[in-house]
Amino acid sequence: MRYVVVGLHAAGRSACAWLRKADKTAEIVGVDPAPMPLYSRPLISYALAGEMAPEAMTVAGEDFWTNLGVRLVKEKAAFLDPERGKLTLASGEELAYDRLLLACGARPRSVEAGGSMSGEICFFRARHDLDRILARVNPGGIAAVLGGGLVGFKLTMGLLKRGMTVTLIVASPRPLSLNVDEHVGSWVGGRLANTPGVTLLTSTSVTSVEKGTSHPLRVALDKGGSLEVDLVAAGKGVVPETGWLSGSGLELDYGILADHFLRTSDERIHVAGDLAQAPDVVSGDRQVNAIWPMAVEQGRVAALNMAGVRTPYGGTMAMNSIPVFGSQMISVGAVNPALTKGCDLVTADGPRGSYLKLVFRGDRLVGAVGLDAPPRLGELAFAVRRGLRRRDLPDWWLHNPKSAAPLAAPGPSLARNAFLG
Amino acid sequence: MLKKTVIVRPELCVGCMQCMIRCAEAHSRTKTLASAIREEILAKPRIHIGVGPELKPFPNKCRHCEPAPCQEACMPWAIRSDIAEGLKIVDPARCIGCGMCAMACPYYVIRYYRDANAPERPGVAVKCDGCHERVAVGLVPACVEACKVGALTFEDVNLYLKEGTNRLANAAYGVRS
Repeated sequence: MRYVVVGLHAAGRSACAWLRKADKTAEIVGVDPAPMPLYSRPLISYALAGEMAPEAMTVAGEDFWTNLGVRLVKEKAAFLDPERGKLTLASGEELAYDRLLLACGARPRSVEAGGSMSGEICFFRARHDLDRILARVNPGGIAAVLGGGLVGFKLTMGLLKRGMTVTLIVASPRPLSLNVDEHVGSWVGGRLANTPGVTLLTSTSVTSVEKGTSHPLRVALDKGGSLEVDLVAAGKGVVPETGWLSGSGLELDYGILADHFLRTSDERIHVAGDLAQAPDVVSGDRQVNAIWPMAVEQGRVAALNMAGVRTPYGGTMAMNSIPVFGSQMISVGAVNPALTKGCDLVTADGPRGSYLKLVFRGDRLVGAVGLDAPPRLGELAFAVRRGLRRRDLPDWWLHNPKSAAPLAAPGPSLARNAFLG
Repeated sequence: MLKKTVIVRPELCVGCMQCMIRCAEAHSRTKTLASAIREEILAKPRIHIGVGPELKPFPNKCRHCEPAPCQEACMPWAIRSDIAEGLKIVDPARCIGCGMCAMACPYYVIRYYRDANAPERPGVAVKCDGCHERVAVGLVPACVEACKVGALTFEDVNLYLKEGTNRLANAAYGVRS
């Protein structure tokens, strides 16, 4: 049996490890133009902020692949022919497979800005993006950051720590509008506005990037006016890397459509990671959630299914956790006000200064957001997946989230069983 | 497969919290309570007695899941399973305190504190390490040593499950000689 894994980042690595666990003798081929060094992509924001050296992003040595017995093909995949069961590489060579995993991820969403210097916009996804930004960082200089999501936020904080003055340009009315509820979003907005060195421009977009006079670049804003800056960095989300699959006949939507076993429309091809559009726990339809834990989990589930171990996928779900201004912000499931219209919001008690809100749609828990809350959002994420209902959430939990037992604690009926005998 | 693990019997717990104290002591630098409380960065317990169903005490500690959601969520690969067999152990030197593991753990057993092994970080993930250093020298985990009521025991999980099966069978069909 020959397994071919395209893309060796979060999902691909996890898949290789689980394929090897499930099938000790199979041939595993990893296709990735740059499989080494083996680093963790989300850490680039920590490296930008100077919290870790760029070398510390490396999580394992080259022996990772040899220990797993994965043969590396350091090339880009160019075309897929599911009818013949062949993958064509950029060099024109063909690679036959018995089972294929597509885990080639996503690329940064481009910025719709014209101008002669729009190619100077730096994105923030991989190590080469970090190098590109670091080469342009100029302590005491000015940077423009486009995008008010988590990446935009991390870019802002990182560049600020590098000694730059940052203008954060957000198209929506408040930062983190997709990730958190109104309360946390406005708290972050307020803190950003009061941070020396940060200018927050909401409901604003960049129309063009031209050559500047006093600084290398000049960005023009849709509201009128322009800014002279040294660096333009954008974090406006990602787009699944599906372009090369358009002629393959696989069912594509925004990403590659996957069923409850992460199988694509071709039963020999599975998909995992940032390009998988898999069933979503909260919305019920198929969604791409381009986040690290989902990619690793999908890699595992897809690998087991590829190896013939029938493993249903619990469903994808939006979740995020970042330190903001010394506070810990975690959100799971649907918390964005646009998605939670008509939902019941329940605020849990907790230690002073903490904020923990649960979102119920009808009777069912669909999301939760916490700011400096006791670190039990994982428990709520698990509860969202299990479909916890409002009546099953005990008051002793809501009134004392700091020291209440986990929701998964055995209830009275189970405890009685233990008394048998 | 784990050979021996800490088995929790919540119904026996009386909520004395001695396991928490002994756990923190065992994870301190000096390993003695009298001096541990004077350390600059206080060691923290990795087991917690929470309020459970019917307001009864519930000892809550890491289950060392396999596959572990915290390990899957960990971006810098700081949660390791290669330090001791069957245990998921946080490497404080690699932890960046991002909170991803707390977002993934279904049991609320990971908390964030300053740690003497990574003093420069404001908070790193702190969770049960199965007292692997104690077990390696033939001791039982500190929480088990502290528990006076048998709510925490160090046993082979398969034997424990077998014992449960036997109890159920005995209750249902009567004891056979």
